[in-house]
Amino acid sequence: MSALVAAELVKLRTTRAWMGYLAAAVLLTGLGAAGRLGSAQRIELGTQAFQRNLLSHSLVSGLLALVVGVVIVTVEWRHGTITRTFLVTPRRERVLLAKAAVAALAGAILALVSVAVVLAVAVPWLAADGATLRVLGLAPVVGRVVLAAALWGLLGAALGAVVQSQAVGLVLAILGVLIVEPLLGALLVLLGLDRAADFLPARALEALESTGDAGISPAGGAAVGLAYAVIVGALGCVRVLRRDLT
Amino acid sequence: MIEVEGLTKRYGSTLAVDELSFSVAQGTVTGFLGPNGAGKSTTLRALLGLVRPDGGRATILGRRYRDLDRPAEQVGAVLETTDAHPGRSGRNHLRVLARAARLPVSRVDEVLELVELGEAARRRVKGYSLGMRQRLGLAAALLGDPEALVLDEPANGLDPQGIRWLRDLVRRLAAEGRAVLISSHVLSEIAQTVDDVVIIHRGRLVRQATMAEVDALAAGAARVRSPEVERLTTLVTAAGIDWSSLGDGALAVSAPPERVGEIAAANGVVLHELTAERASLEEVFLELTGGGET
Repeated sequence: MSALVAAELVKLRTTRAWMGYLAAAVLLTGLGAAGRLGSAQRIELGTQAFQRNLLSHSLVSGLLALVVGVVIVTVEWRHGTITRTFLVTPRRERVLLAKAAVAALAGAILALVSVAVVLAVAVPWLAADGATLRVLGLAPVVGRVVLAAALWGLLGAALGAVVQSQAVGLVLAILGVLIVEPLLGALLVLLGLDRAADFLPARALEALESTGDAGISPAGGAAVGLAYAVIVGALGCVRVLRRDLT
Repeated sequence: MIEVEGLTKRYGSTLAVDELSFSVAQGTVTGFLGPNGAGKSTTLRALLGLVRPDGGRATILGRRYRDLDRPAEQVGAVLETTDAHPGRSGRNHLRVLARAARLPVSRVDEVLELVELGEAARRRVKGYSLGMRQRLGLAAALLGDPEALVLDEPANGLDPQGIRWLRDLVRRLAAEGRAVLISSHVLSEIAQTVDDVVIIHRGRLVRQATMAEVDALAAGAARVRSPEVERLTTLVTAAGIDWSSLGDGALAVSAPPERVGEIAAANGVVLHELTAERASLEEVFLELTGGGET
């Protein structure tokens, strides 16, 4: 298993795609942080609540991790490399597990990069405004942001295994997070099913990054996110095992 | 070493492979022949665990591909499609595979040398010619120094020198005791490389024969049957003519029937049959596969 994870890491390193992921993480989180800092009231800047929010920019690094997870699996079908991969490792479920692990790791690394970018923007900004960063209070938030991104990556790999087509996977991932889930959430709230809406994947993973005073607890959010990844992943595994490579 | 028994595969309503059986022995090169669409690729993919058969079994070293302990060291395969990421260098492609198969990275440079890919290995696969991609595929197949090789139309995209190089490589690999199964839709392309042929058409076996038998069917050959077959073979051998036994007192002789008749008459050997075989290899092939149609 460790050999397969190592092989997947070499795959990730030896094309130029990772540069694109890093660039996206830096650009999106950097701009997002600048936007929030710029639009904040001066008085807010020093508060822990604001600083937490600044770091838990969940949707950006989450969506990015989801996309990377989808690509890590579907790129093999897109370029036909899956044939050679399965010739070397005919136990397909092992390949998928290794990919899931690498997708989670990639998500976590991108989240760490995002946090670093936010800090790089926020520290001088806050200093210029005479506010200080409450580092100690923020450490657990960083941990949760990283865990959430790892779960997003896992979910992406699971989705990729289900659809196998890169185009379909990416469209589903992006539309799902940006349009379908918010609409579904709003609909559930409208119907008075707020509790049910909390169990939607993006909401659950957002809860993981939150303080836990609204909706489900962070631990509950992580559990729900993991449950989605496991269920979708199991479906993906069955589909990949059954698929003929012609 | 490679056994296919009653293999059946359908795609929707199309029967791609229909109760196909054949075998490949260690140390031999077997040509797997049939026109396009005969079911060759499907058979090879079923053998390699890429396609699930609907019936029968295909095994290598007595096991299904999925159940091999170290597949890269047991079977090397090159299939028709290119299977390297265009944005990765050939060398990195092989490094990934070596990692996954737990092979030392030093093997990567060894196989690159073997397939003569040279300095191109450090360039991205995107810029490779078809021939270079075929060589990279072969390098991937040979990475684990496998006991059996399965090659699907490996000559596609190779220039005449490349085809000759491939022929020599395959012969060398078989001489080292490996079993090689090599598919083609052109008999003459692999006639000089193979020991045996398995000919299929519309998913069914048409014939499994030695190349000598196929040769005997071709131009300048004769089929002869005699009650004194031992004497005849001695005489034919003494005349420097290749032959192979077809069993039941029959021989496939690579000489025209006139010559065989003269030898028999001069030595008073009784013949029960003497048939001219004057087709070219391609005609033999077409006839055999055309025969499957009726």
